[in-house]
Amino acid sequence: MTDPLKPNLAETTGPDVAVVETEAAVERRAKEAYFTASQRQLIWARFKKQRAAMVAAVILLALVISGIFAPFLSPYDPTIAGRNKDYTNGAPQMPQFCDKNGCSLRPFIHLVERERSMATNFRWVTKVNEDERNYLTFLPKGDRYKLFGFIPGDRHLFGVQEGKIHVFGTDEDGQDIFSRTLHAIWTSLQVGTIGVFIAFVLALIIGGISGYYGGWIDGFIQMITDAVRTVPAIPLFMAVAAFMPPEMSAEARFFYISIILGFIGWPTLARRVRTHLLTERNQEYVLAAQLCGASSSHVIRRHLLPSFTSYIIVDLVISFPYMVLSETALSFIGLGLKDPVSSLGVMLQKATSADVMLNYQWYFIPVIFFIALVMAFVFVGDGLRDAADPYSEANK
Amino acid sequence: MLNFARFVGTRAIMAAITLIIVSLVVFSLMELVPGDCAERYLAFKNTQGSGISVADIELERQRLGLDKPFIERWSLWIVNAFQGEFGDSCILRVNIAQLLGDKFWLSLSICLASLMLAYAIAIPVGIIAAASHNAVLNNSLRIVSYLGLAMPNFLLALMIMLFATVYFGETLTGLFSSEYRDAPWSMAKFLDLLKHAWLPIFILGWSATAFALQTVRALMSDEIGKLYVTAAAARGVHGRKLLWGYPARHALGPIINSLGFDLNRIFNELPIVALILVMTDAGALLIEALARSNDQQLAGAIIFLLTASIVTLNFLTDVLLAVIDPRVRKSIVR
Repeated sequence: MTDPLKPNLAETTGPDVAVVETEAAVERRAKEAYFTASQRQLIWARFKKQRAAMVAAVILLALVISGIFAPFLSPYDPTIAGRNKDYTNGAPQMPQFCDKNGCSLRPFIHLVERERSMATNFRWVTKVNEDERNYLTFLPKGDRYKLFGFIPGDRHLFGVQEGKIHVFGTDEDGQDIFSRTLHAIWTSLQVGTIGVFIAFVLALIIGGISGYYGGWIDGFIQMITDAVRTVPAIPLFMAVAAFMPPEMSAEARFFYISIILGFIGWPTLARRVRTHLLTERNQEYVLAAQLCGASSSHVIRRHLLPSFTSYIIVDLVISFPYMVLSETALSFIGLGLKDPVSSLGVMLQKATSADVMLNYQWYFIPVIFFIALVMAFVFVGDGLRDAADPYSEANK
Repeated sequence: MLNFARFVGTRAIMAAITLIIVSLVVFSLMELVPGDCAERYLAFKNTQGSGISVADIELERQRLGLDKPFIERWSLWIVNAFQGEFGDSCILRVNIAQLLGDKFWLSLSICLASLMLAYAIAIPVGIIAAASHNAVLNNSLRIVSYLGLAMPNFLLALMIMLFATVYFGETLTGLFSSEYRDAPWSMAKFLDLLKHAWLPIFILGWSATAFALQTVRALMSDEIGKLYVTAAAARGVHGRKLLWGYPARHALGPIINSLGFDLNRIFNELPIVALILVMTDAGALLIEALARSNDQQLAGAIIFLLTASIVTLNFLTDVLLAVIDPRVRKSIVR
């Protein structure tokens, strides 16, 4: 087979390897002989060289971990149950080490008093009591939660001795924006994963049929796919999302939205699957394998699948941010997820009023995290694409 | 000439087929919405105090032609739609074509303006970036392109509004000043529109610009490395003449082809940007139709019109490409 990856393999198994003690070298060669594994290693080796993609991967990993462990990392329950009714629309309270009374090794915040009276024109006015320190505590008991949905717990990473701490401030109901942001990252990851999975299955079936049979079936399916692709997706999303009865439960809504995203995201992916299949099917290495008498199942398993799984994974990573952004947009206009679920779109719904823009700008802090999440996905996707393409090095 | 006419004819038929498939999708979606027009009409009557029965609903269905089979209603809808007639909205009880009228053309012009803005920026900047080896310029363009993707237009709109309110104390919303909103079209109203429209045009063009920049730069750097460019340079053609006369002409084809997809992208952002900037255009109407009232007739009409604009643009770019690109022209005439 004319595997363009072969020269690279030779490099890693070349003279350098012989220096290493024999047992390890044999083991290593055996590992590399296993085709898919070694391709993965090659991709990883190429990926590691790209600095921007590596930085993005680290950020992405940090965001994913903070999403997964959101219930533990966030000090309070993200729903109305965890609200602080004495600190609604409250400003962010960053833990500090020093104030005018000197420094301490233990981070603290100041106690606040809120007042609303004739003198303040009936608005809540916050007075920070600079003399009273409220020290941070670690692993305090707090709101009950279920990690991964089944491990019960009530310890949170941090809290304060007295009252509550709101690192990113609170919204109009007194819900902690930091806790909501972490949970929203998790929501976005879930919606994106389910959406991408559904789109992927559909794309694999439709694109697979189209690419495998070719001919008029291919032409017909492509015509339909192209027609669906011309319809602007977001207006179509909105039309489909509007079918959801308003009394639907939050969980049902969540799954419905993910399914819609998947159903609308398939045409692009299907086209890619088809193109991969069509080009790879006619490659010389496939012909060579067939001439050697390999059965078609062997060709598909050992040659075709490994040749494009990496491309498909890259496509999935690249289409992920679109899912996240579409969900955000839908929730933002009120057709997507609804309030008990934390999601960026839901959180931003309240942020469009002039009152919020003038007085409570911390509503926008989560936006930074989402831009970071989407950017990280885009950079990792691009890096993976370059790494998965054996010809990209030859071009450089 | 005859061959060219045949080419235009085939393209027009293909565009029409695409529209028919789209109309089938849109119409089926409209049918899927729970409850039909007859029920809506009578539900309205019910709120007015007169009692209704199941027989009344059936009668109303017959009057509206809702008892006919799906295919018949769909073909009626599509024939009317091609004539710009979408019937009445059963929630608002007004004619959809009248309701949309100006609003649709206004949003279409805003979208086309942002498309033009995107390419007016992307083509020169992309060509310069591809030709120069300036690392700072290239890297900053790369970051702008990624930002265009990661920062969806509605977030950008929110951010601009945020800064405008905080620093200028002004909310940059609406398309017209209040005195012109319902006034008939005049020069003054048009100028007033221009004064307000730059922001939506910029915001809608934002991610299209980022994408177009990336496309233009990639195409140009592919072409610049080719031998015919080196040959031209060896003949003594240089500077701007070399760039515009040789690689730019080659790169033009794919760029023109991508116009339709960029319009699609802009339409995607239109409803949400319209919502944030409180614009009274088709996008905002679409949200109104879907989110607040479940008005499937209006929503279907808007989606169909948006898609029709994209299909028309695709058709026009295909024809334009055949006119200006001798390679395409030759392949048709042959």
